[in-house]
Amino acid sequence: MADPANTKLGRMLLDEITPAVMVLRTPLVEESCRKNGLSLIEMLTPYCNFNNIDVPVRTADQPYRLRRFKLRLFYASEIRQPNIEAAKERLKQVITHAGDRDISKLSSDPPDIQSLIATSEQEFVPSWFQDFNKELVDAVSFSEHEAFDHPVACLVAVSSKDKDPIDKFVDLFNANQLPSLLNDGAMDPKILKYFLLIHDNQDGLVEKATGILSEMRNAFGANDCRLLCINSSADGAEEHQESPWASYKNGTSRNKQFGCFLNVDDIEELRNTMHDLSSKHIIPHMELKIRVLNQQVSATRKGFRNQIKNLWWRKGKEDTPENPDGSTYTFSSTESQIRVLGDYAFMLRDYELALSNYRLISTDYKLDKAWKYYAGVQEMMGLAYFMLDQSRKDSEYCMENAFTTYLKMGSSGGWNATRCGIWWAEMLKARDQFKDAAGVYCRISGEESLHSAVMLEQASYCFLFSTPTMLRKYGFHIVLSGDLYMKYDQIKHAIRTYRSALSVFKGTTWNHISDHVHFHIGKWYAFLGMSDEGIKHVLEVLACGHQSKATQELFLREFFRIIEETGKTFEVMRLQLPVINFPLMKVVFEDHRTYASPTAASAKESLWQSLEEDIIPSHSVMKTNWLESQPKVLPKKYKESNVCVAGEAIKVDISLKNPLQIPISISNVSLICKHSAEYDDTESDANGHLIDYQNNEELRTAVSVSGDFSLETSLFTLSEVDISMRGGETILVQLTVTPKIEGSLKIVGVRWKLSGSVVGVCNFQSDIVRKKVAKGKRKPKQSVKDNLQFLVIKSLPRLEGVIHDLPTTVCAGDLRRLTLELRNPSKISVKNLKMRISHPRFLNVAAQEVMNSEFPSCLEKQASSSQSCSQVDDGKAANSVFVFPETVASSCEAPLRWPLWFRAAASGSISLYITIYYEMEDGSSVITYRTLRMHYNLEVLPSLEVSFQTSRSPSRLQEFLVRMDVINKTASESFQVHQLSCVGDQWELALLQPIDSVMPLKFLMAGQALSYFFKLKNHRTRGSTEDNISSLATSGRADVSLLDSDSTGLFDASIPPLNLFHHQERVHQERHKQGHGSTVDFILISKSWSDSSAGLPRTTEVFSHHTCHCRIASNSPIWWLMDGPRSVSHDFAAAAFCEINLSMTIYNNSEDAVSVRISTFDSTPSVNLVNPGASGSGDEVGWHHTSNPSEAKVTSPDVTGTRVVKALPTESVSPFIWSGSSSTRVNLKPLTSIEVPLQISVFSPGTFDLSNYSLHWNLVLSSGNEGGRENDSRVSSGTCKGHSYHITVLQKE
Amino acid sequence: MASTACFMIVSKNDIPIYEAEVGTVPKKEDAAHQHQFILHAALDIVQDMAWTTSAMFLKAIDRFNDLVVSVYVTAG
Repeated sequence: MADPANTKLGRMLLDEITPAVMVLRTPLVEESCRKNGLSLIEMLTPYCNFNNIDVPVRTADQPYRLRRFKLRLFYASEIRQPNIEAAKERLKQVITHAGDRDISKLSSDPPDIQSLIATSEQEFVPSWFQDFNKELVDAVSFSEHEAFDHPVACLVAVSSKDKDPIDKFVDLFNANQLPSLLNDGAMDPKILKYFLLIHDNQDGLVEKATGILSEMRNAFGANDCRLLCINSSADGAEEHQESPWASYKNGTSRNKQFGCFLNVDDIEELRNTMHDLSSKHIIPHMELKIRVLNQQVSATRKGFRNQIKNLWWRKGKEDTPENPDGSTYTFSSTESQIRVLGDYAFMLRDYELALSNYRLISTDYKLDKAWKYYAGVQEMMGLAYFMLDQSRKDSEYCMENAFTTYLKMGSSGGWNATRCGIWWAEMLKARDQFKDAAGVYCRISGEESLHSAVMLEQASYCFLFSTPTMLRKYGFHIVLSGDLYMKYDQIKHAIRTYRSALSVFKGTTWNHISDHVHFHIGKWYAFLGMSDEGIKHVLEVLACGHQSKATQELFLREFFRIIEETGKTFEVMRLQLPVINFPLMKVVFEDHRTYASPTAASAKESLWQSLEEDIIPSHSVMKTNWLESQPKVLPKKYKESNVCVAGEAIKVDISLKNPLQIPISISNVSLICKHSAEYDDTESDANGHLIDYQNNEELRTAVSVSGDFSLETSLFTLSEVDISMRGGETILVQLTVTPKIEGSLKIVGVRWKLSGSVVGVCNFQSDIVRKKVAKGKRKPKQSVKDNLQFLVIKSLPRLEGVIHDLPTTVCAGDLRRLTLELRNPSKISVKNLKMRISHPRFLNVAAQEVMNSEFPSCLEKQASSSQSCSQVDDGKAANSVFVFPETVASSCEAPLRWPLWFRAAASGSISLYITIYYEMEDGSSVITYRTLRMHYNLEVLPSLEVSFQTSRSPSRLQEFLVRMDVINKTASESFQVHQLSCVGDQWELALLQPIDSVMPLKFLMAGQALSYFFKLKNHRTRGSTEDNISSLATSGRADVSLLDSDSTGLFDASIPPLNLFHHQERVHQERHKQGHGSTVDFILISKSWSDSSAGLPRTTEVFSHHTCHCRIASNSPIWWLMDGPRSVSHDFAAAAFCEINLSMTIYNNSEDAVSVRISTFDSTPSVNLVNPGASGSGDEVGWHHTSNPSEAKVTSPDVTGTRVVKALPTESVSPFIWSGSSSTRVNLKPLTSIEVPLQISVFSPGTFDLSNYSLHWNLVLSSGNEGGRENDSRVSSGTCKGHSYHITVLQKE
Repeated sequence: MASTACFMIVSKNDIPIYEAEVGTVPKKEDAAHQHQFILHAALDIVQDMAWTTSAMFLKAIDRFNDLVVSVYVTAG
């Protein structure tokens, strides 16, 4: 540690604890001094401070020399305890004064926290703290319990003009206006006196004065009198190089020249006088007194005997009551004398001596319970320890002791405690114990008062300078002090402290803290009339979603109040109300892509691109077109920018969120755009008529905006939206800008007005850039948003398209005719219209004639129909690009209507995308073609569920039994099953039973299920098979009405749209062909059915359900049929066995030749009963076993094939045997049949099942076929088990 | 007796993760920011203390008027 005397506390003590001199003067003396603008004391004060007085001092043992010395001069009237109220008032003045002085700094930015730490204490801590602390210390001066404020000497000054100067000297001292300290016995009234005769040289010659002086010397003694001549300068224009008074009289007017009548001689005289007083009188006097007192104390108190005596004597008074004011200690008491001895020694820098005396007296005071005296002594002990630079612990202990003792006394000790605390804290600071010092300051500020605020502020600085730096504590305490300042109306100080706190809490996530600081500082700024600063801070707290509702209201109310006070409209960058959600921002513009609806714009671009792949010209072609049509090559940078068309709106979707719980109203939400007419804007010259919002000024008044607005309207128009948002609500706002003339347009940002008073501005580009820096990962996603620069080209035709009557919710199978309407509002006509639909299963283009015909009757079979087999071109259907005929090239106004077929093919949600391509008639533009994109979403509900099951007829070749199960899956709809059609020429369909017996009700209720049975005949012959396989033409035979028995009113499944959709279904339901059986496609047509009694007859809706690729045959390529007698009568008595001839017809259904081997075996049991229930899986509803087993047994060949009941144990030989060859091999050409004779021998009457044979088939692949066809999945050989064939043999009677 | 308390979890770099006002005192408007101030300031003490002791629970390391701050320091 440095020399204690050079520390702040040391200097403070050397200034404060110095001998006091009481000054008595006559009014005339004062009058003479006033000529110089100074009082007597003020005139003398500069010469009371001696930096090198060099006086030898001998207090106790060793003599030493005193270097620095100082006297404090006081008028007699000042020597009394200051009034507490007056002291408070003075303190307040100091603070207010300091606050006013600092006001200029308030608007500057708070310093960065790092630089704040780096600044030294001297720079950072406000300088007025020093003055303030001094005032606080002075507030408790002249206490009777401390001797260092007691005047050591008395300076009696009388002017030479006074009448009877000698009497005046006597009068001055005898007057009863002497301080109470002298009168009430607290100090010795016998005081060193020094008599000064002041002579004003302007009033006459010095001779008279010298006469008086000699008189004085006679009266008061030669040494104690002195003559002081002043005002020697006649003209009063004396200039002083360094005005010695300036530093003592700060605060008053500086321009006044002090000491203007004092010439160099006078000043020398002043200096000599004071030096003489100090070195020749005061110091020797004190020395002497110390020696005398020391001897007395030694005699009475030092030594073992005296101590015992003292202790014993004190013990005797132990029961005395507390003695807080110590009134018993007069100047003559031993205690007071010891205290005086200590203080004198302290003032003369003999700290050892002072300390020993303080220690001596301290225990006495403690025993006497004179707490104030005790605390005062403890305080001095602490300071003496400090000045001696001895034991830190002792000094701290003493200071703490003193501090707590003062506090214990209650209110009377408060100010003393404050002074003690300040010294204590300074002591700790001198020793770099900043943290402890902060604690002391906090303790001083225990009670709430204005000076507590200053103490807290000092505490906060201590936290700042402690190692390690306690920034958070600093922030907290400076905010606390700010609160206190505010409480005592020191608003400027409050702002100053809060601003310091800002630098600590900058960027903090402790939201309540930052809200508190910003809100209050903003409020106070506004209070001072600095609205700009105030708004800036209040803005920070507006988006306070975490605060309670009441607080949010408070913040918002305060904000509007400040705004209102200013009476201006503010434009605020990054106003947080409402919050803009940038990731959800979306820009929709139309270049060559145009959108019929917003939903179309929101669909994925890749989806559209894949849809448009074939119909738009390739990119390279487009580019050459650009160059050809545009002689002026566009600047390179515009190649990257987006293209938009004049007169067409650019839409920007912005998601706004209200972060508060209270509703806010937003008005005039619009985009900020920048338009330049030039293609090559060189940034400088084009900006003349533009609004440039690029300057990132945080806040500015929007005076000029309305002026610019009118200019903008000629270049582009903006949409404005007014919304009111409820608490926490998020609203998607669509804003548009419509450029009017060619050039380049840039969307700069968005602006809005909050509650009609504050304009918020948000700059897209900068915000996005900032976001991107934060999370670089998302970079590639923002390609559209990145570029808000648009190249505006001249206006182009833009088709508007809509599909009328497209339902949003529909039942599956619903078949409708819709109308596409295209409209071209511009003058320029368009050509080469093409259309492509994403889901041809759902939507198909109809022929234009359909427009005029009635629906659905146009679907009905025409009696005179020419049966022209309209086939769907496979290639065309798959590609599904529809080219509009040239004649319909759409031009001005007259809308183009085109019919479309719609069929809800499958249930679920479906998005239909339709893109229409067109070219401009006028080829001069940059864009030569455009596409109109339409998008519709629809919900398809399940309606009828249709399933088919086919099985081979057991009795006839080429014939099948078909079971159709229909279930109504809707919740409430009823359907009328109208017709079943079978697609293909070769099929003939007929009901098995008359329709009335199947369905008496004529309609299918919700949830109802029905089964129909049909007979299906195949007419395929060898000649007609090859080419007709994909033919969809149906002869009349393939349609069966399920409504009534006659066949009128049937729909024609072979004309559009049914065949179109059927083709799509075929493609969609395509399944992997396996096996050799051919397949059949069914179309079930039904109508919606409404109860006619329910009221309005609804328009009939037609539903079609397509089931394709129903397999009608087994895996095996062969069909066979056993033929023979069913019952035979035979007389077994006549012949032992009966021979029965049978024949088997085998038909090859496949495209290849087949080799078949028939094997018979006798070992299997003859009575093999087929399980009657094996045919159905049992879960069909409404199905019943038909009575005629030979005709209607619907058994799938697969099922019977695998389901041979295991052989029963045979006890005897079988009742019949196969006679003839047991194995026959035949070869069959494709699609031919052969008859094979078979024979059995029966030995007894009975009914026999002839199923114990099997057919093994092999495909005989021709060599030519083998190479070309690599159909591995086809089975080339197999075994079929025999069908059951029952024969009854009867005994012939 | 009605009492007030504030519970906070603070992560690295002083970022508050969780905050809850508990206690029976009816909620005061300024309690929230006052508690934050006190707890934030107490972190200075925690920072020092955490390295000087092996204990994880630091009982009553800081106080403001009648509010006492206790801290549980997690490992790692």
